Amino acid sequence: MKAKKAVSLLLATVLAATMLTGCGGGRGTEETDQTDETPDDAGEEKPDDADAEGEESEDEETGETPSAEGGIVGVALPWLGTQNWAEAEVMFKEQLEAAGYEAIIQAADQKVPQQQQQIESMIENGAQVIVVGPVDGSQLGSVLEKAKDAGVYVIGYDRLLENTTGVDGIVQFGSVKTGELQAEALLQGLKEQKGEAPYNIELFGGGPADPNAPNFFTGAMSVLQPLIDDGTLVVVSGQTDFTQCATADWDNSKAQSRMDAILAGNYSDIEIDGVLSPNDGIARAIITSCENAGQPIPVVSGLDAENESVEWVWSGRQYSTVAKPTNALVEETVSIINSLLSGSGMPETDVTANNGMIDVPVYELPPVVVTKDNAKEVFADDPDRLALLKD
Amino acid sequence: MSDGYILQMKNITKTFPGVKALSDVTLEVSEASIHAICGENGAGKSTLMKVLSGVYPYGSYDGEIFFQGKKMAFKNIKDSERAGIVIIHQELTMIPELSVTENIFMGNEILEKGLINWEKERKRTRELLKEVGLHIDPNTIIKNLGVGQQQLVEIAKALSKNVKVLILDEPTSSLNESDSENLLKLMLGLKKQGITCIMISHKLNEIAAVSDYVTVIRDGQTVDGYAVEAGKVDENKIIKAMVGREIENRYPEHTPEIGEVILEVSGWNVEDAKVPGKMLCKNSAFYVRSGEIVGFAGLMGAGRTELMRSLFGKNMGIFRGGEMKIRGRKVRLNSVREAIKNKVAYVPEDRKGLGLNLLDSIRKTVVAANLDAIKTKGLLDFDKERAASEKYRDSLRIKCRDVGVGVNTLSGGNQQKVVLSKWMFTEPDILILDEPTRGIDVGAKYEIYKLIHELADQGKAIILVSSELPELLGMADRIYTIFEGSITGEISAKEANQEMLMKKMTITA
Amino acid sequence: MKYVKKVLGEDLRQYTMVVALVALIIIFNIISGGKMITSSNFQNLLSGNAYVLVLALGMLMVIVIGQIDLSVGSVAGFTSMVMAIAARQFNLPWYLAILIALAIGTIAGAWQGFFLSVLGIPGFITTLGGMMIFRGGVIWISNSISVPVPSELKWFGAGYLPEWGPAFTGMNNSTLLLGIIAIAAYVIAQMRKFAHSGDVTGKKEEFWPFAVRIVIVAAVIGYATWLFGSGRPGTSFPIPGLFLMILIILYYLITERTSFGRHVYAVGGNKMAAELSGVNVRRTYFLTMLNMSVLAAVAGILFVGRSTAAGPADGTSWEMDAIASVFIGGAAVSGGVGTVIATMVGGLVMAVLNNGLMLMGVGADKTQVIKGFVLLAAVAFDVYNKKNKG
Repeated sequence: MKAKKAVSLLLATVLAATMLTGCGGGRGTEETDQTDETPDDAGEEKPDDADAEGEESEDEETGETPSAEGGIVGVALPWLGTQNWAEAEVMFKEQLEAAGYEAIIQAADQKVPQQQQQIESMIENGAQVIVVGPVDGSQLGSVLEKAKDAGVYVIGYDRLLENTTGVDGIVQFGSVKTGELQAEALLQGLKEQKGEAPYNIELFGGGPADPNAPNFFTGAMSVLQPLIDDGTLVVVSGQTDFTQCATADWDNSKAQSRMDAILAGNYSDIEIDGVLSPNDGIARAIITSCENAGQPIPVVSGLDAENESVEWVWSGRQYSTVAKPTNALVEETVSIINSLLSGSGMPETDVTANNGMIDVPVYELPPVVVTKDNAKEVFADDPDRLALLKD
Repeated sequence: MSDGYILQMKNITKTFPGVKALSDVTLEVSEASIHAICGENGAGKSTLMKVLSGVYPYGSYDGEIFFQGKKMAFKNIKDSERAGIVIIHQELTMIPELSVTENIFMGNEILEKGLINWEKERKRTRELLKEVGLHIDPNTIIKNLGVGQQQLVEIAKALSKNVKVLILDEPTSSLNESDSENLLKLMLGLKKQGITCIMISHKLNEIAAVSDYVTVIRDGQTVDGYAVEAGKVDENKIIKAMVGREIENRYPEHTPEIGEVILEVSGWNVEDAKVPGKMLCKNSAFYVRSGEIVGFAGLMGAGRTELMRSLFGKNMGIFRGGEMKIRGRKVRLNSVREAIKNKVAYVPEDRKGLGLNLLDSIRKTVVAANLDAIKTKGLLDFDKERAASEKYRDSLRIKCRDVGVGVNTLSGGNQQKVVLSKWMFTEPDILILDEPTRGIDVGAKYEIYKLIHELADQGKAIILVSSELPELLGMADRIYTIFEGSITGEISAKEANQEMLMKKMTITA
Repeated sequence: MKYVKKVLGEDLRQYTMVVALVALIIIFNIISGGKMITSSNFQNLLSGNAYVLVLALGMLMVIVIGQIDLSVGSVAGFTSMVMAIAARQFNLPWYLAILIALAIGTIAGAWQGFFLSVLGIPGFITTLGGMMIFRGGVIWISNSISVPVPSELKWFGAGYLPEWGPAFTGMNNSTLLLGIIAIAAYVIAQMRKFAHSGDVTGKKEEFWPFAVRIVIVAAVIGYATWLFGSGRPGTSFPIPGLFLMILIILYYLITERTSFGRHVYAVGGNKMAAELSGVNVRRTYFLTMLNMSVLAAVAGILFVGRSTAAGPADGTSWEMDAIASVFIGGAAVSGGVGTVIATMVGGLVMAVLNNGLMLMGVGADKTQVIKGFVLLAAVAFDVYNKKNKG
């Protein structure tokens, strides 16, 4: 009995031990180096930061300004399942470490509770700034407020952080602007390829859970609506509302089924000339659907400059995409982090966005339209994508 | 070397951690004989057979096994089956959803180019079924067969493996009289064909009827062996050898004190829920008085259990009319709960399947049917629970280390005592006992009989359902016979004998 | 060993998981350089996992009756979305919104219970249907858009107990009070047990094992009180943790000390025997499924309170976390076996593992792999133990 019990205990301990050593090798050692100072930093910084919230930049009175050297920065990403997020992970790591910070980068596998706990663990690990690419921008409220209470700066990355007071700024590409660019590219393509107006078009929106999606659509409609009203453009299906056009979860297959249904129901005897697509995945789904239906390829807009779509643009299957160079976004974020950790607070910006609780400073970057004509220029500094543009 | 023995097990000793299950046991079986092994539950019979069939592989026990003169070292069941030793367990091991053919050739399929040759299998099955005297279609699904027929299929399966020694572990324990008789006849037939049978059994009348030799095992040792001559066996001698003491009377003496009528049932009709139109109980009427033990005799499937369970809160079948009076008051018991409230208790025949939650401890089982009795301020009171179970542990002499141990650790007899405790704790006026001594060894049976008498003396009305006619004759004050759902007779136990009862159980009155 | 048994009881195996849990916490604390055992991390652990543990309480009973509920995540998501919409679009006060969520949970549970108990459709299928229905429902009514909830609800998912009284305690006094109440309750219970120990057997037990138990438990509760109470001012034992504690006590009583609880185990252990002992099997099925969905609604409220918004994907795969907790806690797939406390320990093992690996910066991918192995190891260990028992 005694022996059995002993064996049981031993097994349990060994079990636990193996699990830990099995995975502890990766990062365990580097992280333990800095544990002593960080919780204190975070704790003491709190009172200062409490008043410094909002737009005002922080000034000298910050007690122990951490130098750019040796700060800890957390980066919480929603997942690594698309190219832009996978790139962001790599770039954040490189650029943050190059700037002398310790980076804790975690991806949440599209799960909100997972991301909440990851952000909490970053606070525990003494992060001074946390960059959040949210799974769902409105579901991190209390966790981000906890970060604020602990004196941690929170920067939203690529998407708005809603419904919380615990956010210091958002870095993103102008999403309304993006929509405008998509619509303009669509019009340009129609004129180039489809002859005289009127043009038959259809509209697609992104995932409604992503606050950017309605903005893209709004931006695009600000360009398209006047032309729909004067008859230059004809939305044959009649679906022009965002809720009608939205693609739940940005799911390509849902977009493809919607396109299939529209073509089957409205385009049996006419040709489709163009489609507004909110991103590249959906654009390719739309093009595939049109090809399957025996339609000539319409002019289709896109977004993200995914590799596959860059090839399609180059070969003429997809008319345009919009590059939101991840690199630029990461660089901008890191420069804000530099400013924060050198004690200069949040940089000035004119743009703010209301997130439901407060007005959040927004740092907007302009996106770039890519068509076959300008692809080589746009990607001149991007060897990976440049390599796709083969003749 | 073999001296006419087909099988010799010499000086077998098998120890489990802390327990010596078999000690120096020797068993010698003559070719083409029927050899009975008897002993109380836990005496070591099953362990011995597991050693023989290779469940406990060679090397895990001491001693030697000679089969047809050769020393054997079985590593597993397949080994022993290959040699021609096949065991048929008490619990049947066939797959209910498959056909007779599929079951017979399970794991032993007749293959041609890797595919099953159904034609050959069916043909062979037909031959085998004929051999065991079963006239059914080989495509019949097992679950549609009765227990007796299933057992015959098991034997047919054994024959398909070219069996030389067939071991039957309590083969008739779940069979009714006619099926049992059938089986015993088949064993005699097999013997004529030169197949040796080893039969583990409690039933001394069966042993007397067919066996050539009896070996008695007690406490892991062979204590005695007798040749059975011309169908005669000294039952008392065997019982004495089994229990180590002489049981003067297998049924304790009892003088009933019969009072007023407690339960009265009339015009009771129940239809089968699965077979529309089939009546399980036809216009049944009977009564039970306080202090009286009323026996119900009937073959398996005659409707005894069905009648009892339909009385017990309409637990079986579809109620099609009838009247039930308890102490002269008309009652309608629509659920088991209501039945319990009206002081009716039912001890089911299938102890493990229906009587017990094998995951529970003794103390939880004892109070399971009357939780209200152990409540304090609406919550279950563990002290009361413990007190209740300790009370029955003492009064029923339930052998256990602690009332907190699981009921699965108890022997059959002690399990049955726990089930009885559970129902005694509901303080019933009417106690229905459905085969209360099935699968229980002689010593424990005696104790349960005494308990039944005590309960009767407390003024309870007791219904005793049993397949064993001697038990009914020995215990009951009055006996009803049932045949195909109808009550065919009512006899005072003093006037009854086995032949009379059997007659009424097999023909409509 | 003999003395240990006197203190802890005969069956030491039930402590295996507790030992594993403590070992995990200590090992993580060493590896992470002391970040594991801190006030804020323990607060995070509780508020971040309360919803799973609440689900596990209901799931335990469902598994004990021999069923499974795959719909709990979807029901939690659906009820909390209804709550959010009721509060935001129909401007109902927050407490009414909560009542509506609980009512919807009850209705959802009754729906599932109906199919299982009345129509006899296995829980797996019933709740697989429920999972699709309610998941679809969330997306439908929300148009796939997250809906913020009233700020009062934040208290349920991320709130703390109030600060009051003297500052010299150096702790949150609400937490301190709770700890004192817990210790006192335990001491009283043990003393009463000791006083009654001879009532049945006639043999009074020795006093020292009671004393040792009291000292150990008081020390553990005391330490926990200090840990939770001595965090940053304004923090305390978290509100979702408090709800969880109340539910644990409640469900401990239900499973151990009520007829209904006994019936749950009886039905799971042997349905036919339970029926013949006067248990209303259908009613037991019905109530167990009903209870599960009500707890799913509670879990949804706690989670949404923490998230400050109800999202269309809320609850996705929560059922799996709950089921894993129950099985790590030693429940049997075939039903009839499992306890509230062991389930909570099982859930905490998963939670601590998750939390510790995150603190170490291990990615979600590897964490998932490790959790899978732990689930298998725990159950295999349990099965191995049971085999060697007989």
